[in-house]
Amino acid sequence: MNTVSITLLQQFSQILPFALFLVAWQGVAKSGLIDPTFLPSVGAVASALVDLGANKSFYTELAVTFGRSLGGLALGAAVGIPIGAGMAVSPAINGFFGPLVKATYSLPKTALIPLLILWLGIGSASNMVAVMFSTLLPFVVYTYHGIAGVPQILVWSARAMGVNERRLLWKVLLPASQHAILTGLRIALGFSFVIAIAAEMIAAHTGIGKLMFIYGESGSYDYMFAAVTAIMILAYIADRITVEVSNHLMRWDDIENRLG
Amino acid sequence: MSASKIAVEGVSKQFDQAGNPVQALAKLNLAISEGEFVSIVGPSGCGKSTLLYMLGGFIAADSGRMLVDGRPITGPGVDRGVVFQEYALFPWLTVFDNIAYGLRESRMTERDVRVTAERYIRLIGLTGFENRFSRELSGGMKQRVALARTFAYEPSTLLLDEPFGALDAQTREIMQDELLRLWRTTGKTVIMVTHDVSEAVYLSNRVCVMSQRPGRIVKEYTINLDRSTNREEVVLSEAYTAIRNDVWLAVRQQVILASPDDR
Repeated sequence: MNTVSITLLQQFSQILPFALFLVAWQGVAKSGLIDPTFLPSVGAVASALVDLGANKSFYTELAVTFGRSLGGLALGAAVGIPIGAGMAVSPAINGFFGPLVKATYSLPKTALIPLLILWLGIGSASNMVAVMFSTLLPFVVYTYHGIAGVPQILVWSARAMGVNERRLLWKVLLPASQHAILTGLRIALGFSFVIAIAAEMIAAHTGIGKLMFIYGESGSYDYMFAAVTAIMILAYIADRITVEVSNHLMRWDDIENRLG
Repeated sequence: MSASKIAVEGVSKQFDQAGNPVQALAKLNLAISEGEFVSIVGPSGCGKSTLLYMLGGFIAADSGRMLVDGRPITGPGVDRGVVFQEYALFPWLTVFDNIAYGLRESRMTERDVRVTAERYIRLIGLTGFENRFSRELSGGMKQRVALARTFAYEPSTLLLDEPFGALDAQTREIMQDELLRLWRTTGKTVIMVTHDVSEAVYLSNRVCVMSQRPGRIVKEYTINLDRSTNREEVVLSEAYTAIRNDVWLAVRQQVILASPDDR
């Protein structure tokens, strides 16, 4: 087979699952298995998406949600990376945060949202703090394991060349943990969208989550699904950008360690 | 009496291995003069790498003294350059930045860093590879970068931990001659740990044989080979063969002595 047809085949195999999913969706919608008022057809969602896309205020809502996700994600990184790094280099810090991390690891962070809203009020602040809490742990855990796994020999090597204990973090430990930390970032990015939207659905005046909630309440399921689709596309683009940037930063690393 | 460049006096070291204490070194003594090339050979697990890492300042002794230029070793220092078995290059840095690493740490101006690093890149024949990362290099290339990185910031003592162990036979010989040339032109003090007796005899002024654990220096051989000629003449000479056989037998004896205890 020539290379052109191989490439086409690869592209086809990537699209195939989506195509099958849409066909199945359309099939179920038409069959009447689920009440058509609750499951709009693919066409109805597509035309709702086109309608939303023509509306300027929709992009404002998207931007609000996107900003909250990334803002909370940045907070999560700003708090989580130092905690993870501290835990890896200091037994005392590990002794303090280790049990907390273990205890809260399986806690669904969405459960905190109502409380945060009570404390911080409805709006971006409570939303971003909720996102921060949910993205904190991936940063903590991946940074911790990344740094704890840095080969002793690299540390010694830097020490022999005059790097003192205090500067090891910047000169060796963090650069050597890039792969782990970027993996944590990618996982946290996914969480950040989920939590930002969930928080908006619980209580918010703006954002895609709020919009989805309103459409759901009013029975405009085609528009609700269109909003879900839009945020999926946005999250997908954000993920791809993260992967591309990560792989560029990690171009020194083995090919098999690339993010997919 | 002239003071030794490096003095190891009655040094002992015990490790904890899965809950069991393991005596790595027991009252080890060793004195090395300035400019000397000393190799340490011995059965595997005899603690020779431990000794080297202690001289590097990475591991502290339980008892005894270790001195460099008469001062006790309290930690790593730029006076002692270390070349590790697995090269230990920083994979996120290019060849150039790896070689420049120690130079930059010494607060040299960026201009001087560039000049020195480029000189060493030429010296090790890696011109054109400045911007490669270590994953793009062969084992021999990585080893050359590791040696250049350590030579570049001019430590007065070099601590080499099986520096050629991971190389194929041909590359190893080329690198050995390269090291010999660098040592001759710079006059550094070199301590090399190796399990390759031929390599130790070919390169060193003195070969120390270590016992099985707990490690002590049990035999020393002064090597007076005429190295003004080429490798063939040295390796094929009777003097070289005789001393290599002696050292090999001494190491062999330590291996045999050790085996009944292991059963």
